[in-house]
Amino acid sequence: MFQAKDFKSDLKPIWCPGCGDFGVVQAIYRALASVGRPPHEIAFVSGIGCSSRIPGYTTAYGFNSVHGRAIPIAQGIKLANPSLLVLVAGGDGDGFSIGGGHVAHVVRRNLDITYIVMDNQIYGLTKGQLSPTSPRGLKTVTSMYGSVEAPMNPLLNVLAYGAPFVAQGTPADMTGLSQIVEEAIRYPGFAFVNVRSPCVTYGTEADQIKEHRARMKPLQSLGHDSTDRLAAMGLAQHYCTELHTGVFYRNPTPPPTMEGQLQERQRGLADKALPRHKILDIFVQK
Amino acid sequence: MTRAIDFRQISLCDAVDFAILVEEEAKERYAELVDQMKLHHNEEVTRFFERMVQVEMGHESILASRRRTLFRDQPRKVTREMIFDVEAPAYDDARSTMTVRHALEMACTAEKKAHEFFEKALKEIRDPEVCDFFTQLRDEELEHLRLVEAQIAKLPPEPVISAADVEDEPVGH
Repeated sequence: MFQAKDFKSDLKPIWCPGCGDFGVVQAIYRALASVGRPPHEIAFVSGIGCSSRIPGYTTAYGFNSVHGRAIPIAQGIKLANPSLLVLVAGGDGDGFSIGGGHVAHVVRRNLDITYIVMDNQIYGLTKGQLSPTSPRGLKTVTSMYGSVEAPMNPLLNVLAYGAPFVAQGTPADMTGLSQIVEEAIRYPGFAFVNVRSPCVTYGTEADQIKEHRARMKPLQSLGHDSTDRLAAMGLAQHYCTELHTGVFYRNPTPPPTMEGQLQERQRGLADKALPRHKILDIFVQK
Repeated sequence: MTRAIDFRQISLCDAVDFAILVEEEAKERYAELVDQMKLHHNEEVTRFFERMVQVEMGHESILASRRRTLFRDQPRKVTREMIFDVEAPAYDDARSTMTVRHALEMACTAEKKAHEFFEKALKEIRDPEVCDFFTQLRDEELEHLRLVEAQIAKLPPEPVISAADVEDEPVGH
């Protein structure tokens, strides 16, 4: 049996005091303790950004990789060793801008990976530029007169690609968030958790934890049926105006995972496989 | 914000264990704030949070000693995973350029939160011994709150140039 502290590393977070990510990492510790897998059986991959520092703050095997490339690396890890519990963390820029192209593919392949996006709607590490989820009209150093771009909707995005598990949380409700992360990890397939983790330095004042606490709407309290994908998509459309928390969609019949199918195929082809000493013969010109 | 604790059924031993964990959580949170303030070279507030670590450690130690006297090696059923933010100051209240006044206000909010928590829990508790114990804890939180408020009252007024004038302004608006 594990405790949350078993997943906390000796490395001290260097986020700005007040950052939402402090709560997110606490929720992750608790979720991992509840799931009960030992740290050495967990691979935690991230890209680049404030939130991508998270793997280092855990005792799991961590890989703080390159910008936007956490998902392909995580897929490689999962396929090489399907028994590992693979987590991916990153920001909205990392996941939906530079790394956006990978999201569709990890969803359609359905690997058993949990992807946690700390969506602060801004590039914080590089000092406050527009990110793909920044609201229209937001004034930043790269949009002095206000953004003229519509934000992308991470929830609708992954739901449209067919993600079997989609949820949203906020560190304003750390108990709820740890439950959501735990549920995502336990889901047998690709699970996406969008965490509205405010940037205390460059984020808007209307999007800080206290405001989240006041305006969050747990989906459970709305009577939402999380097995209804269309209802989930309907609620996800309000990403810009409402802060819904909880599980939007959980496919009650989890589709087969890519690693599961490949393992099955490997077993099926085992009889036809060449012995190791014959493999090089394939390349010998006759 | 707790989960898996049913205050209607809680025994005195579990209640004491719960109280120890509440103090432990607060102590660890203040220790995290010490690290955050050290990193940002905010020495005055670092010292204040270090003091708070000692205070919470003191409370924890008194409760732990009481537990040993009353229940010796009785196994612990309450775990840290069952509690969240009972008396721990909120992460989001911290700022790199915060002043001692701001830090004291943060401690005040934490004590108020704990007081409200025990007040609410008391409505559910049925065991008279647990009820007495939680009443004592609730009243202690109020006492701590008064002590912190007295400290705030002793502080000189904030400087004309406040921390907000020198910190990075949120860009987005």
